[in-house]
Amino acid sequence: MEMNEAKRLIEFKNIVKDFDGQIVLKGISLDIYENEFVTLLGPSGCGKTTLLRILAGFLKQNEGRVIFDGEEISDLPPYKRELNTVFQKYALFPHMNVYENIAFGLKIKKMSKDVIEQKVMKMLKLINLEGFEQRNVTLLSGGQQQRIAIARALVNEPKVLLLDEPLAALDLKLRKEMQYELKRIQQEVGITFIYVTHDQEEALTMSDKIVVMKDGEIQQVGSPTDIYNEPQNRYVANFIGESNIIPGIMLEDKRVRFDDIDFDCVDVGFKEHEPVDVVIRPEDLDIVAQDSGKMNGVVKSVLFKGVHYEIMVETVPGTTVSVKMNVTKEHDVASSDAKERISANHFFVDLEDVKELNDAEIIARADAQAWDPENDEYLSISKIEYELKEEVGNYPVTFSTAGGTAVTVNIMVVEQKYVENPKKNEAISAFNFFKSVDEIKESVALDTDLKTWANAQGWKLSDESIVEIEDVEYDFDPDTISPGVYQVTFSTKGRVFKVHTTDMSEEGAEIALNFYPEDIHVMSKIGY
Amino acid sequence: MKTFKRLTYPYILWIAAMIVIPMLLIVLYALTKQGNDVATLQFTLENFIRFFTDVDFLSTLWISLKIAFLTTILCILIGYPIAYLIANSKPKQRNLYILLITLPMWINMLVRTYAWIGILSDNGLINYVLQLLGFEPQKLLYTDFAVVLGMVYNFIPFMILQIESSLAKLDNSLLDAANDLGADRFHRFMKVTLPLSLPGVISGITLVFLPAVSSFVIPKLMGGGGYMLIGNVIENQFITVGEWNFGSAISMIMACIIMISMYITRKLDKSDDAMARKRGKA
Repeated sequence: MEMNEAKRLIEFKNIVKDFDGQIVLKGISLDIYENEFVTLLGPSGCGKTTLLRILAGFLKQNEGRVIFDGEEISDLPPYKRELNTVFQKYALFPHMNVYENIAFGLKIKKMSKDVIEQKVMKMLKLINLEGFEQRNVTLLSGGQQQRIAIARALVNEPKVLLLDEPLAALDLKLRKEMQYELKRIQQEVGITFIYVTHDQEEALTMSDKIVVMKDGEIQQVGSPTDIYNEPQNRYVANFIGESNIIPGIMLEDKRVRFDDIDFDCVDVGFKEHEPVDVVIRPEDLDIVAQDSGKMNGVVKSVLFKGVHYEIMVETVPGTTVSVKMNVTKEHDVASSDAKERISANHFFVDLEDVKELNDAEIIARADAQAWDPENDEYLSISKIEYELKEEVGNYPVTFSTAGGTAVTVNIMVVEQKYVENPKKNEAISAFNFFKSVDEIKESVALDTDLKTWANAQGWKLSDESIVEIEDVEYDFDPDTISPGVYQVTFSTKGRVFKVHTTDMSEEGAEIALNFYPEDIHVMSKIGY
Repeated sequence: MKTFKRLTYPYILWIAAMIVIPMLLIVLYALTKQGNDVATLQFTLENFIRFFTDVDFLSTLWISLKIAFLTTILCILIGYPIAYLIANSKPKQRNLYILLITLPMWINMLVRTYAWIGILSDNGLINYVLQLLGFEPQKLLYTDFAVVLGMVYNFIPFMILQIESSLAKLDNSLLDAANDLGADRFHRFMKVTLPLSLPGVISGITLVFLPAVSSFVIPKLMGGGGYMLIGNVIENQFITVGEWNFGSAISMIMACIIMISMYITRKLDKSDDAMARKRGKA
């Protein structure tokens, strides 16, 4: 154990905290050692700042103990704790200049003037802001204010410095500079830094130890390399860096199956046939010639990211269904005196759904409308006549207004067209449909409208949960479409791997993905 | 935006007609002799000389300033803690307290002041209670005490509201920071809360001192018929004596004193900052 080397400085023992009944921390236990740079990492609302404020003494936990240097400090007010905080928005005193801000803590301790001056000057040197003593803090840049906030805390020589998202308000370039600066300061003063952030890159860059939190619980504690290479669950893998996460089954030690292929890996200690999550980092995947890698695939998209390309490769295609779209001209009917117009669409309905049809439903599905062409005011449809049988076939339906203007269209009862894909455990269905030229030209979000018009749906075979339809393809140009029959294809997302590589690939190229057993990291599904 | 600018013209006209012209008239009156008509203006400084050479007027001015100063100090001393409590209460309670503070201002000042006469008079509420408890009845009404009480009562809401709003604006993280750097509640208040609420105190002072120094209704009612503050002198000149020129001159002198005192308070506020900065250097 590493305990022999470093001294344990802070111990959180089963900390529970709730705000008005909402539990924010669910029993946090954590040890922090001397001279460590520890990062509490998690999305907003995960409890990381709450934990920091409990340590600083601004909040009191409902349960559990905080032990600092061997002593319980839960009842100690903030001003008696041997730690200092750098606040998110710096919290510099606006009525004091730089010197007075930094000297604040020392003056409270009633140190002599020359000692205060010595210490403040030393701090200004540490943060590279010599000569700034008399400056007005409100007129300094964000980065300078930040460094003064750090100096103001460090001048008190705390055993621990707490930093609450101190770089969140800075721009990207300054943030990077400050990351190095903070690490340098921490190494120079040699005390424990506890750093709160939601930025995984910040955490990886600066920390000796990262604590990944989610919903008031610790997900994983470890060094940046541990956390990156050996994430304990899907959540950590997703939060830290980019990753491909695939559900799989552990066949035996060092043998895992996903997407119907068995792979060698280096992970052990799982039960036989245990369902697991498999992580492969995008930079561990190589693109090689077809049939010469572990999985064949097609390049779906290529994005240039500066240092590398981000290439999406589909190894298992999604499930696809095609339907016919009948495009007609305007199909409204005018009354004999031309005072009323009425229109409706033919529509398809599934045999199973016939008994659920009622008047309102039929009007909606046929999109039946009547209006006065003079002033474009809608008229109500007063009569619907139809005869429906629960058999496949065409059934005319007539809509008419009180004025006697009528239009007749067909209800086409069919058996629903659907495609099953047992390999991916999903199915997809869609209907043929009728639309007018204008409706297609006027559509603002055509893909979404096509999904609605065709009533396209995807679902899992196992539990009928919804599977998103990812792709809509069609063989017409919506701006110049003319009446006729067109094909519309809907597909679910296939298995897509994200690859980071410096080698360019062509979109649509047929390639293969290669990786090594040690690139596969298997995680237990439990805990998520 | 340009078109909207025109909308301000009526207001500019209104301000010119209702504020600037009367003020110019006062200046004109103050600098001219009694009994002028428009055709023959006789300019003079006599009115000012008369004020500054008369011991009675000067002592009245001195007493007025003293009473106004005392009122302001009392408003700060009583108002600050109240403002502090209000600013630190929960939002719902805070609204209630602010309502309670402003509620009396909805009632006419005369009525409120008369109510105090009823309470303070020789056979009023306080003396009644004193007698019940076996104490000697006290002369309360028509004293300096009554005048100051009336003024503090009438003007303290302005002080409280000003201080409260500057305390409410205070960033909580500054208080956390002070705590974190080792300041207990007392030091935190002295070094952070108080200095950062000073702007509110300063504007409170302006809002209390100005009306207090020129008030004439309160001293008349609470101080009795013979009680004279500078506001009453001006009122007399206009209403009883009918010497508008002398009255205007006194008004102008008051305006100058008020301007100077405002200038000094603002200067004090700023030099406070500057002083603090210099001390930091040492």
